[in-house]
Amino acid sequence: MTRPPFNVLKLSLITLLAALLLAGIGVTWSRAKAHEAKAALFQQQAALETAQRQFDRSREQQQLIDTHLADYQALAGRGFVGAEDRLAWIEAVQLASRETGLAGPEYRLNPRAASGPQLAQGLSLGQTTMVLTLPLLVETDLPRFLAALDSRATGIYRVRGCRLSRLGDASFEAINQPRLQAECELLWFTVAQTQGGAS
Amino acid sequence: MLDHRLILLATPRQIGVLDWRPGHMHWLGEFAASAAGLAAFRTVVAKHARLPVLLVVDTVDEDYRSEILPHVQGQARNELLTRKLKQVFRNARFTGAWRQVRETTGRRDDRYLLAALTDADWLTPWISVLHRERVPLCGIAPLALACQHLLTRLRLQEPHTLLAYRLNNRLRLSYYHNGLLRFSRLISSDTPTQLPGNAADEIAKTQLYLTGQRILPREARLNVLLLDPSGQLDSAQAQLNADPAFSTRLIDMTTLGRALRIPDSFLAATPEVAPLAAIAGEPLQLNLAPPELLQHHTEFRWRRGLHTFAGAVALLGLGTTAAYWLHAQGLNDQAHQMAQQQQQLDARYQTIARTFPVQATTPEQLAQTVLLARHLTDRPTDATALLAAVGQALDVSPDVRLESLDWSEDILSSASGVSIKLDASLDPFDGNYRAAMQRIERFMQTLQAVPSLHDARMTTSPVNADSGSTLSGKAPSADMTQAAVARFSIEMTYRESAP
Repeated sequence: MTRPPFNVLKLSLITLLAALLLAGIGVTWSRAKAHEAKAALFQQQAALETAQRQFDRSREQQQLIDTHLADYQALAGRGFVGAEDRLAWIEAVQLASRETGLAGPEYRLNPRAASGPQLAQGLSLGQTTMVLTLPLLVETDLPRFLAALDSRATGIYRVRGCRLSRLGDASFEAINQPRLQAECELLWFTVAQTQGGAS
Repeated sequence: MLDHRLILLATPRQIGVLDWRPGHMHWLGEFAASAAGLAAFRTVVAKHARLPVLLVVDTVDEDYRSEILPHVQGQARNELLTRKLKQVFRNARFTGAWRQVRETTGRRDDRYLLAALTDADWLTPWISVLHRERVPLCGIAPLALACQHLLTRLRLQEPHTLLAYRLNNRLRLSYYHNGLLRFSRLISSDTPTQLPGNAADEIAKTQLYLTGQRILPREARLNVLLLDPSGQLDSAQAQLNADPAFSTRLIDMTTLGRALRIPDSFLAATPEVAPLAAIAGEPLQLNLAPPELLQHHTEFRWRRGLHTFAGAVALLGLGTTAAYWLHAQGLNDQAHQMAQQQQQLDARYQTIARTFPVQATTPEQLAQTVLLARHLTDRPTDATALLAAVGQALDVSPDVRLESLDWSEDILSSASGVSIKLDASLDPFDGNYRAAMQRIERFMQTLQAVPSLHDARMTTSPVNADSGSTLSGKAPSADMTQAAVARFSIEMTYRESAP
């Protein structure tokens, strides 16, 4: 073939150009469609994984709720969840001392402080220290009082420690006067409610 | 079809037209060299004007020369051949050169076959028709060249072959050396070739001519092939075989038809299609057409090439587009299935979420709160048991007077036990510190003997005998024995013993 006779090949060249153009348009269009579909697939895949995780989590949450809701509600009723109910604690002390026949226990409630992170484990756990000073006739009055308090108290508390000491240095006499004194430190725990809810 | 073409067989008297494509052929007829024949021919050509045309000529007025020329290539070869053709054939319009072989010795020159139609005036009307109809004429070939392909198809490749081919009452004698055309002549019907004896004479004369021209070696034995659809050459075989210089054999039409894959009936009806069918699908080695006549074919090839390329591009584009589109559809289907799965999961989630109580805390915090409360209320210190344990030791140690008892626990690690601090004094104490220390030691052993008390150690001694500290006091006298006090402190750990 020698030099191409362009003058008679116009139509053929136009045909070729049209074929190139159409092929290019077709390939570009379909490739863009494939890319769009791929991106949509990735997006849908991510959404599906999110939905799967959400569903799995909801089942776990459902199990947690089924297991613990009754206990939680009971704790909320006891005042463990929510604001402090100091009056209830004082009433419990008064009732316990009355029940055990102890005269005039003194109490002191310190301001509420946040519990240590190891104990709180992420919850907004607070602890209020109550210092109780109890005059005792005999040392067994102390466990009786603590047992009575345990049955009267609605909140959650823990006896951190007690000090049992003599009042004066007199020798034992069979009189109805307190000869011993107990000073106990009680920690009342409360969990503040946070905003959230089941998701 | 890419290889669809018309093959024309032109003689001074007529022209025949074969419509050919691989595996299929159709004889369109013969047209006499008259005004009516030309008009009919024009009609047929116009109908097939888009097909390339190969013109095979069968004429007396042809000339062949074998030449050895220097081996050159490219433009130099074209110029050399143009000059040589002009020199050999003067003003002949239809000339051509075919580079057949290259010499193996000497300068390794090229051996060419030069051919020309010395008088082609009779051809002009037919070519004019082709030109007017803008038919893409791809070449003009002599019938002898078509017969060469015929021999190839018949697998007859002897070194020296003379084909005697009787067609249209004319006898063509063509010489092939190693299967390549070297010489051909047509004995016209004006000469009396109808007689077998005359045909044999013409063959003998041709052999003498070829030998004389040193085209055929003197000692060579000539293989003569007789091809005559009418069978008139059959009797010449015996006459020729009588001469030891010849080896003659007949080619029957059945063999020919089988070699060319042409039905016998079709070949018998139109015997001239044999050489045309043989050359139809072959590349043209010797083209006698001048370049100006090939212009339409050049355009045709360019056009066909462009159209083929455009078709390939369109096909490729279509295929790629379809592949991408199908891929996209597949991805869309997958995404659709995932969307359905997501909807199902969402619906199931909603069903579960509806059962959740309205809480101000998350379920995880809810569970954690419950577990924390359990931990805080788990196994508080039993004060009764603790006092009983200490009291058990004090009961057996009446000389130890308890002054204060202090206990505390670590809420985080309640399992490690409760720390107890005990302050006491010895009563009575006579001022004998050595004896006092022994009594305290015994008391500590008593404490250790209680199962729930562990790690008892004295933290404060009645007397500090450490050499690093100051020790002062008053030696006891008989009247101050009662005033002396021996106080001490003991720390220990209380752990509830297993029941």
